[in-house]
Formats: sequence, C-alpha cells, structure tokens
Amino acid sequence: MQPSKLLKPELYSAGSGDGDGATARLKGGRCRCGYVFFPMQTYGCERCGSHGDPLTPYELSTNGTLLAEATVHLHADKNRPAPFTIVKVALDDGPVIRTLLADDSARVAPGQRVTGRLVPTTQSESGETVLDHRFSAAS
Amino acid sequence: MTRSLNDLRPVYVVGIGWHRYQNPSETPYVALGLTAIRAALADARIEWPAVESTYVAAALLGMASGRPMLRHLGATGAPLMHVENASASGSTAFRHACIEVASGISDVALAIGVDKRNPVRRAETGIGHLAEDAIVPFTHFALLTNEYAVRHNATAEDIALVAVKNHRNGAKNPNAQRQQERTLDEVLGGKRVSGSLTSLQCTPIGEGAAAVIVASEDGIRRLGIDAGRAIRTTASVGRSERVYAPGAGFDAALTKETADLALAQAKVTPGDIDIIELHDAFTVEELHYIESIGLCPEGHGVRMLKDGALDIGGQCAINPSGGLIAMGHPIGPTGIGQIGEIVMQLRGEAGARQHRGARTGLAHMVGVGAVCYVHILQK
Ligand SMILES: [Zn+2]
Repeated sequence: MQPSKLLKPELYSAGSGDGDGATARLKGGRCRCGYVFFPMQTYGCERCGSHGDPLTPYELSTNGTLLAEATVHLHADKNRPAPFTIVKVALDDGPVIRTLLADDSARVAPGQRVTGRLVPTTQSESGETVLDHRFSAAS
Repeated sequence: MTRSLNDLRPVYVVGIGWHRYQNPSETPYVALGLTAIRAALADARIEWPAVESTYVAAALLGMASGRPMLRHLGATGAPLMHVENASASGSTAFRHACIEVASGISDVALAIGVDKRNPVRRAETGIGHLAEDAIVPFTHFALLTNEYAVRHNATAEDIALVAVKNHRNGAKNPNAQRQQERTLDEVLGGKRVSGSLTSLQCTPIGEGAAAVIVASEDGIRRLGIDAGRAIRTTASVGRSERVYAPGAGFDAALTKETADLALAQAKVTPGDIDIIELHDAFTVEELHYIESIGLCPEGHGVRMLKDGALDIGGQCAINPSGGLIAMGHPIGPTGIGQIGEIVMQLRGEAGARQHRGARTGLAHMVGVGAVCYVHILQK
C-alpha cells in the first residue's frame, strides 16, 4: 500500500484499522454545558462562554443525514476548480457541517444518509498520497 | 433601565442622496461619496457646516477613507467615524447617526456609505475548517435554496420569480446598477452560478454611494428644514447571531428576532408595513425574510409572490428599489440606500416606482458574521 498522509490531521482521523478510502472520524469538542461542536477549539464555548477545562475533545461519527446540496459551477479560487458539490450534513452526533461531496459519490438529495471518508486528493512532494475528508452517499 | 431609540427624542431623515450604483469603474471613491453627500444636502436644503457629526460606512476601502473625502466639503472640524459591519455597514452607520441625534448630542448627523469593489480580506481565526474556502456566499445561499425548495415543495422557477420582480423594479430606478426588465426565461437561462442560482438571481457587487441626513426637531426648526418632507425613524434594532437549533437557517432566525424587536419598538404589526427593503443578495433570501418578518407563514412566500402581493401596488411592496439583485450591493452604501428608498416612498416622491399610500416602511440587512439590522420609518 502507498504511504499516505492526512491533509488536515487537526480536523479528522481515520477510523481504527482502516486504510485509504476509510471511514473518517471528526475531531470535535464538547463543553460541560452539553454543547457539541466542530472542530475542537479551546477559545471558549459558543453557547455558554466557558473556556479551559470544561472544553474537551469529543470524537464525532461522520454518519449523518443530508440537509442540502449545491453543485458549484463558478468559483474564483483556482485552488478549488469548479464544478464541485458542497453538502450540508446533520451529523448523528449533533453538529451540522458543510464540506465537499466525494467526486465518486452517487448523487445525493436532502434526507439521504451520508458518511464521511478519507479520499485521495493529491500527491505530496515526498510522494505520499494526501487524503482529505469528503462525504459520500451511504452504501 | 435602558431605552430604545423610539423612547428618546424623535429623529427624522431630512435628506437623501446617491451616486448611482454601477459596475466597477475608474471613478475614485471620493467622487462617488461627494456626489451622494451633496445630493443629500441639496435634498435637505442645508449647507455642509450644519452637519455636526458623520458616520462613514465602507467595508472595502481600507483604513480612514472618510477624511480624504469629507475635506472637500470644507473642513469644519466636526467628528467623523468609520463603520465596518460587512453588508450591514450602512445600516449600522445609520443606526448610530440616529442614536447620536436622538440622544441629544447632535441635532444633525450624516450617514454616508461609499465603496469600491476591492478584494474582501478576512482575518484568520486560528480555527481550522474542512472546506469553508469552497463555500462563498452564493454557495451558502444555494444550499439554503435547495433546503427551501425541498421543504416547501417550491420549484427553481418559483424562487426565480423574486428576481423577475426585483429586476422589474430596478428598471424604473435611475440609481440602480441593473436597470433592465428580465423575463423568467432570461433569469433561469443566465449563467449558472451555484446550485439552482443563476447570475441574474445574485447581486452584482459594484460601487456607488448613498447618503442620509438625520435631524432632531430642534435641528429642523433651527435650519428651516421642510418638516413636511421629514420622515421619522420609529425603530432601530441591531442584533448578532446566537446558537440556534442545529440546521436552523441562522440568517432567517436572526432576522426574525431582530424584526420582532423592531416591530414592538415601533408598535406596529407586519400587516401595517407598506414597503420593505430587505437583503435579497440571492433570490431565496427574500422568501426567507418576508416569512421571518411575519408577512406570511413559513413556506407561503411563493404564493404571495405569485399573487402579486409583493409588487409595487400590492399588499406590501418588497424591494421597490430593485433590491440588492437589481439596484445592487456596493456593501457600504447598501443599507443607507435602503433608507433613502423608503424615505422617497413615504414622501410620495418615488415617481414610476411609487407604492401608493405608503406610510410605514421597514429596512432590513444581514451581514456575514452574522449581524442583522432592522429600521422602521413612518410618515
Ligand atoms: Zn458550554
């Protein structure tokens, strides 16, 4: 298997025992007040303002339900060549997040189940495959 | 015990002026701003030295753009400050000009919005993100369009009718960036942008300027201003986003709580409002916000639109100026231009765009962050 690395390891990890295309886990946070958020941060809780010890890392499942999708036809930033599809997903663990749909995902529509995976995007200078988080229609 | 604007001494809009909103040009912002200010002074029939304080709304001009513009009116030494609050910069400047006059600190204040289409720069927060760089405003609203369409069984054609109406209004507005009527086919057939949004359903960010002069009753009397053309600000509310239920559209939720406070402050109900200028940067927003303001139950906006209830001459004219979609959205000026449109309508001076019998108008802006501002003006 090719060596690989994560594009944004501060935001997600591979599910245990998985390789390329694996189910992803998201690095969220939880406040003592019960508020669950993504990504983890220690500045302070948006709901209650607590900071420091009350905020702890809280791993989130990437299983969720699609709320909305939009295929982007125009995008000025050359680092993100259009077209691509953005999805808004209500995670089973609480937070609502928005990010890219995997290029090889089946088409999706609101109400559908989706799951996050780590998919190969580019090669690093040292030849590693760079994995980034994408959603796909749940199989 | 705190008080709202409407509990303080009355404050009136006495002068309005624009530099037409337009595509980016070589015209310096100084020329745009001075044109709008001089038009507002002429409309109020007062001279520049009467202005005791100035609020300059600009989001994209960089630091301290005000003095290099205002000095050409004759440097009076009066205080000035700059307001940057994203799309709501102009609304925020207007609110603080009103507060200054209502509090008694000044009798006459100016809110001037001016901007050029420069790149938007936002500071890093230090918190990572999955792909926020791929989600620009039109994609944020393309997602909300998809949600609205599915939840309320609305078609892309239904939602695009907002643009048909607003282009029709803008075609009658000499200050609008886009002054051309568009058919539904033209709107839907234009360049695809994101999701079901096409370019004619999106605001064309451009440049321009809008100015509003506010005054107290003392100021009006002392300067001999025509009180018959003065329009009172009866509510001013500013809010910022809270934590809403997961998945709730924060723009709409924030609009609802801000509008509710403004309606209570002015002691009016949604049914009392004759005209609304609202933040229709993208078509679906107009439906969200008329429902949030309370003109109709959630999901009923399309029906009102199709019935003509939102047209000039209908039950409540929405965006008679053409809104952000047709009049344009030069950022700093936009919220001030909304106030100018409402004043023109309540005076009965809106010409071909006149909504007959207009007595109460509401102005609404949201800005990324998110912030929301609502003002109510009454004759
Ligand atoms: Zn908390």
